[in-house]
Amino acid sequence: MTLKKGSFVIEGLENVQINIGKVGAEEEEIAQGPTPRPEIIGLRDWDYRIIDRYNPVYTPTGDTCDFCTYGKCDLTGNKEGACGIDLEGQSARQALMVSIMGAACHSAHGRHLLNYLIKKYGEDFKIDVGPSNLQAPLTETIMGIQPKTIGDFRPVLDYVEEQLTQLIATTNTGQEGAARDFESKALHAGMLDLLGMEVADIIQISCLGFPKSDEKAPMAEIGMGILDPKKPVVICVGHNIAAPAYILDYMDKNGQFDKIEIAGLCCTAHDMTRYNKTAKIIGSMSKELKYIRSGIPDVLVTDEQCVRADILKEAQKLHIPVIATNEKITYGLPDRSNDSVDAIIDDLVSGKQPGVVLLDFEKIGELVPKLAMKMGPIRKAKGLTALPGDEEFKKLVTKCTKCLQCTRDCPQSLPISDAMAAAVNGDLSLFEILHDKCVGCGRCDYSCPADIPVLNVIEKASQRVIREEKGKMRIGRGQIGDPEIREEGRNLVLGTTPGVLAFVGCGNYPDGTKDVYDIVEEMIQRSYIIITSGCSAMDVGMFKDKDGKTLYERYPGRFVKGNLLNTGSCVSNAHIAATTIKVASIFAGRKTKGNWEEIADYVLNRVGAVGIAWGAYSQKAFAIGTGCNRLGIPVVTGPHGTKYRRAFIGKPYRKETWNVLDGRDGSVINIEPAPEHLMITAETKDELMPLLAKLCFRPSDNSLGRAIKLTHYIELSEKYLKKLPDDWHIYVRNEADLPVAKREQLMKLLGEKGWKIDWEKKKILEGPLRKVDVSFQPTNVPRLCKEVKK
Amino acid sequence: MNAKNPSEKQEEKVIDTTRQAVPYQTGNIPGPKMARAVMPAVPGKMLARAKRPLLIVGSKIDSEDVLARVVAMGKAGIQIASVGDSYKYLADKGLDAHYMNMHALASYLCDPQWPGLDGKGGYDLVVFFGITYYYASQAISALKNFSNIKVISIDKYYHPNADMSFGNLKQDVFIAALDEVIAQLPK
Repeated sequence: MTLKKGSFVIEGLENVQINIGKVGAEEEEIAQGPTPRPEIIGLRDWDYRIIDRYNPVYTPTGDTCDFCTYGKCDLTGNKEGACGIDLEGQSARQALMVSIMGAACHSAHGRHLLNYLIKKYGEDFKIDVGPSNLQAPLTETIMGIQPKTIGDFRPVLDYVEEQLTQLIATTNTGQEGAARDFESKALHAGMLDLLGMEVADIIQISCLGFPKSDEKAPMAEIGMGILDPKKPVVICVGHNIAAPAYILDYMDKNGQFDKIEIAGLCCTAHDMTRYNKTAKIIGSMSKELKYIRSGIPDVLVTDEQCVRADILKEAQKLHIPVIATNEKITYGLPDRSNDSVDAIIDDLVSGKQPGVVLLDFEKIGELVPKLAMKMGPIRKAKGLTALPGDEEFKKLVTKCTKCLQCTRDCPQSLPISDAMAAAVNGDLSLFEILHDKCVGCGRCDYSCPADIPVLNVIEKASQRVIREEKGKMRIGRGQIGDPEIREEGRNLVLGTTPGVLAFVGCGNYPDGTKDVYDIVEEMIQRSYIIITSGCSAMDVGMFKDKDGKTLYERYPGRFVKGNLLNTGSCVSNAHIAATTIKVASIFAGRKTKGNWEEIADYVLNRVGAVGIAWGAYSQKAFAIGTGCNRLGIPVVTGPHGTKYRRAFIGKPYRKETWNVLDGRDGSVINIEPAPEHLMITAETKDELMPLLAKLCFRPSDNSLGRAIKLTHYIELSEKYLKKLPDDWHIYVRNEADLPVAKREQLMKLLGEKGWKIDWEKKKILEGPLRKVDVSFQPTNVPRLCKEVKK
Repeated sequence: MNAKNPSEKQEEKVIDTTRQAVPYQTGNIPGPKMARAVMPAVPGKMLARAKRPLLIVGSKIDSEDVLARVVAMGKAGIQIASVGDSYKYLADKGLDAHYMNMHALASYLCDPQWPGLDGKGGYDLVVFFGITYYYASQAISALKNFSNIKVISIDKYYHPNADMSFGNLKQDVFIAALDEVIAQLPK
């Protein structure tokens, strides 16, 4: 007889209840807050609080709606369409749909890993993420449970999947109509995204031996110039470690690391190095097309997310077999999972098939190295590459008519024809500059009326800089450990560490990869804590100082001021958001389980953390940002972020939106706009840096902390915008808030603004919006006040 | 007026800013309503007549010839919203220029309660140039759909989300067009 989960009583023992299923779970599952497993409107009050202060700002890319057969409907000027939705509602619906897409990606990734890891290691395999009691902060805060084993994450993903289905349902024509509620639901999807990511990364850290809160994780090589192209080369593309792990194991077991080069593109690369430090990293998604066209890869292994849709087509031209290892991306290829490895290899080597779907990890592990050993010599003998030879290159650049069509199709509007003209005269320097700024999309190829393969020309011209493209990145460390939070939490909340800046997301930078390096270098020298993940983490490691050292080699990786931490791949973003929960829990003793609103309220008012997705391109990046917003963390993207079509922007001139309650007695306090925005863009890096400093202000800053933050805000504005910020004074609450080095000068300026100052005692008597009160307990949630003032 | 110095007398040159009135970035086709292509005299006269005009300039005003035109328009008394990092080019020019984030500005311009950059109220006409193309295009899509403010692009690119725009111009025509706009402004 098989016992199923559930409860029953035995006749005659009516007072005894027998539970089959999880044993001992009840005690752990007692939620401490009011919203364990919130339904799709379960946190709507909190969302409204956010939206009322940080108004959604819509910048539509299109003014029509064509979701249903009533359409196309013209919604220009916020008109209503046939179903009754207006452009504001439609824009909010799109924000929700984008958030759902992103959340679904990370959560499905987590589900794939969870099923696989439970099958391999069993559901009782213990979670181990390093020296932490609070091992799954997002899971605790959202679900109200404390998972101990990987099997404990099953109900978590069940919840995420069920909620995402509910949210998708609301986007159908004739369902939700209010922009405000679409936004609340988008915030819910963002929160689910954080949860799905946490599950994915915790289980892979626990089961696969990834670094566990390791501040001294080893360095990995990174760049387009790191591989020896004479050896057979395997390139894994995407985000999911499951298949590449088997390849790495097989190569390890058979001593093949000196015979075959193996590296990754995009986040799979992160997790390959976390799994086996011998693996290498080519770079972000922007490098996919560039590297494939170089002809260096002999085998391409794809899994999921951020894999170009044209990989098979591109690979086929160069006789590079594609092994698709995940059900989500199959390219119309035959599923050969039940065939023998040798038979599949024969068909791929002969070119009978350009690629296969292979879902059996054992077979993938064996097939890929064997295939590389066969394909390598064949392909290298033929010298297969998409890049033109020297003579062809010269002919191609002379064909350019300067029509500028490539520039008009380029996402960055790069001046390609200028580089072509210079190359006609033998000057390749302009192309070498373009190589870093180019996001490798290939739209220019389609646009050229003279049929110049523009991307290939750029890459051919840039061979010198590509050969030198060799950097270092500290391998993803995973979570921030509890001891680090204990050490640093106080500095963060009081403001004496000026802020945590999290550089996350993709490589769609407005002006090249180098910007990220420059921004990080400026801010880390100012003692901000810099956390990175995903493609941004890679790009930070691509550049060196005059001594030949990357930022990862120059700065240690502990969660303290002036350090540079890499958490890992895209799903490791969860740990960055979770760090703020840890601060609330460990430093301030806030209860976490089922207590999202209180935690998010704490983060919004006290933890000076900001996310920067300078090159964000994907729906996933938007979902992550939206999830961070619901947790009270502001996010800034590059200018391309306006194409996400929705931001959350505060209005400092609307004083009534900047009221908070004092938790001690419920009195209403009008505060400075801190943080001023929740999601916004900047046009250039020079604009971004002072904005980041400003977004680190929090109402809870003590005077020393505020003075430090104000110092950086003023200095960065003066350095990059050549001006004292217009609004610096509104962050001054008393004379101790003023930066020490500029105190005299700034006090004079305050006097000119009409503030009353005792010049003898150098004290501000009148002028500030509010006074500093070290016991101030700012909150936006009335129920958190000890005594609500009538 | 030559390309280097907007204060000198303009050379006689017939320019047509209504040609090539197709979205500069090929895929940037928002919908049925797209900007009317105009000659420079139109925005020039509208700027001169507006009660409360605002010029927005961004990070692409760094070349000497373009910057000279920004300064000339500012000297003609038009208030400037300096978005992106453009303020660093205007800091020492003695203009009524204010730094503002473009995304925030788009939001505030849609809000009737916004007191403006100087506390004197909102604006009835917005004219812009020198902003990263797609960034400007997205930002003004907010104004197009959620405000009643007239928006004119006098950039060298056709901006479909504006009410009026120049077509896609070569640099010399663009500079000459700016000079024609400036010629309409009060001296």
